[in-house]
Amino acid sequence: MEKPSLLPLLDARLPLSEEKVAEAARLAGVPLAQAWGVVRYYPRYRGLPQGRLLVDDPVARARGFARLLEGADGTHPPLGLEALSPIHVRVEGEERYVEWEGRLIPFKEFRLPFALGQGNRLLPPEPILELDQYEALGGSVFLRRALKNLLAPEAILQAVEEAGLLGRGGAAFPAHIKMRAVARGEPPRYLVVNADESEPGNFKDRFLLEHHPFLVLEGALLAALAVGASQVFLYVRDEFEAAILGLENAIRQLGEAGLLPVPTEVFPSGGLYICGEETALLESIEGKRAEPRLKPPFPVEKGLWGRPTLVQNVETLANLPLILREGPGTWRQTEPKLFSVTGDVARPGLYELPLGTSLEDALQRAQGEPEALKAVLLGGAAGVFTRDFTFPLRYKGRLPLGAGAIVAFGKEVDLWEVLLGLAEFFREESCGECFPCPLGTAVQVEMVRRRERNPDLVHSLGQTLKGSLCGLGQSAYWAYQSLLEVEGAA
Amino acid sequence: MRLKVNGQEVEVQEGTLLLEITDPPHLCYHPHTETRGLCRLCLVEVNGRLLPACATQAQEGMEVRTDTEDLRTLRKTLLEWLALFTDLSLAPGLQGLLEAYGAHPGRWGRVPETRKEREPIRDNPFFLRDYAKCINCRRCVDACGEGIMGVWALTLEGRGLLAHPTTPLDRPLPETPCVFCGNCIQVCPTGALRPLSMEV
Ligand code: SF4
Ligand code: SF4
Ligand code: SF4
Ligand code: FES
Repeated sequence: MEKPSLLPLLDARLPLSEEKVAEAARLAGVPLAQAWGVVRYYPRYRGLPQGRLLVDDPVARARGFARLLEGADGTHPPLGLEALSPIHVRVEGEERYVEWEGRLIPFKEFRLPFALGQGNRLLPPEPILELDQYEALGGSVFLRRALKNLLAPEAILQAVEEAGLLGRGGAAFPAHIKMRAVARGEPPRYLVVNADESEPGNFKDRFLLEHHPFLVLEGALLAALAVGASQVFLYVRDEFEAAILGLENAIRQLGEAGLLPVPTEVFPSGGLYICGEETALLESIEGKRAEPRLKPPFPVEKGLWGRPTLVQNVETLANLPLILREGPGTWRQTEPKLFSVTGDVARPGLYELPLGTSLEDALQRAQGEPEALKAVLLGGAAGVFTRDFTFPLRYKGRLPLGAGAIVAFGKEVDLWEVLLGLAEFFREESCGECFPCPLGTAVQVEMVRRRERNPDLVHSLGQTLKGSLCGLGQSAYWAYQSLLEVEGAA
Repeated sequence: MRLKVNGQEVEVQEGTLLLEITDPPHLCYHPHTETRGLCRLCLVEVNGRLLPACATQAQEGMEVRTDTEDLRTLRKTLLEWLALFTDLSLAPGLQGLLEAYGAHPGRWGRVPETRKEREPIRDNPFFLRDYAKCINCRRCVDACGEGIMGVWALTLEGRGLLAHPTTPLDRPLPETPCVFCGNCIQVCPTGALRPLSMEV
């Protein structure tokens, strides 16, 4: 079995002293150098920014950012609170609070308001935090069947394949291909749930984790049984403290009910955007700096501790029970997808819509009027600005859907200010492992600051970032390039 | 097996790296360390995809292009950015590449945050750690750890543009497991690590 991971050992010793770092390294059985490299990588070990912090997301950038900053001690990276933005958090030592409706609510207790969720297939009308509630609504049926050998692993794989389920984390890779590849690998095999949602504009996974932990867990366990995984890790963004507690409670309830066929544990993430990149995430669970690996080999062959590993997004897995319940054919007719719709719409929130819905329809569901908008940022930071409101929201289209973020900007918004926020986000989140990304994202900030429109420079920037090692650097210029296109078209 | 490099048929053995049969500029790769795929200078186009030649094995039927317009733009820009942020004065190889690719770092304007302002660290009688010249290729870290020595006197500090090697607990080198073998100096491509005897 693998060694104990360094990250939880360090977490248990916060705030850190040199002795505590040395002790954690000894317990994890790694060189002190490795432990120190980790301490110098993750912000929570270096020391979190303190005080009243303005959450820096695209919505806040569109609302007079400089003025908002006046009442704050600094900024905090996006937290999946865009529907409530602009919003402040407060960090005091290791304690974190959301400022909400005039109160300070600890992260541990703060869930997104339920009114933000609109839908019924993935988003039933009430939060379901107890197993008997979940079962009363028809939950766990397929898990029970699988446990009684009435639902074979192959039948699960077959259903996922017939449904044509595509990964909901942004890459839209066919889920069954990954699953079958892992199922074919030598045991032990692992399942990792990627719940490190940090894409500006997105809060769908946060919502699912906070309100529907049993749905997510049933999907994960069905997938684990389908691929023959011997352990499930939920890598959850560490700021989603309420979600982590809810998941741990749900895991305990499943265990007590005899519905936990595979050991399942929550691993609080390293707390950085790059931790969501699937190989960086694996490095992080292994207790290292969250730096993407060279691919190939892909995680389905050599993942966690070199074993075949299925890494899937929260929303992808949440669809599994649904596919089995509705039947792959019916499910496929109106594939449900969650969209986080925010910015200049009257009812920002999370909307469950069939893939293929037009951008215009999605906006109108949130009571936004396309005629009143200058543009929409589609797909988050690794997304594009567009004015093509007729665009049907589906994967493999002309525009990247990403994880499903839609941020609407009214006519009076200065999109260059929003873009500057995105450029600074990429510069801050670059891990610095490969060369084009840390250099290029730093150059990009300066270009955006001076509103550089020289086509040669913009082309060279894009061409070079394209050569980055992982998707973070590769997509870092999309928003910039698309804003120039939107301007040209306006 | 057979593949095509810039339109020419080539026959190679199984397991050959593309870097061994093509000649793109390369920086992070070193035969004695395991660093590869980081600098992206050796990227080549394989059936339309960008892949690092230093980390990609030849495969039957590949169509490899090593010097397209796009690749030239990428390499030229990357070299310009390196020169913009880092002191390359003791890296003659890189200076040569900058000239060969017609690089003009000045076209990117001013950058406020650079690596050039870092002060050299003189904490031992043998060599200098001058991270103003460091491009973060990690060759030294690998040479000291996994790659050659296995003593782990070096690790990495920070993220993004300012990431660079450091010592465990940021201690002076003599207080680390360093045995002053000189392997890290040997593999450093930029003069960021250099013998004190070279200093005047
Ligand atoms: S592209 Fe950026 S985030 Fe990705 S490996 Fe390179 S430096 Fe790290
Ligand atoms: S000189 Fe010291 S730091 Fe450099 S490789 Fe040798 S042991 Fe490591
Ligand atoms: S000191 Fe030299 S070898 Fe080490 S990372 Fe920097 S440039 Fe590379
Ligand atoms: S030499 Fe191949 S990427 Fe650096």
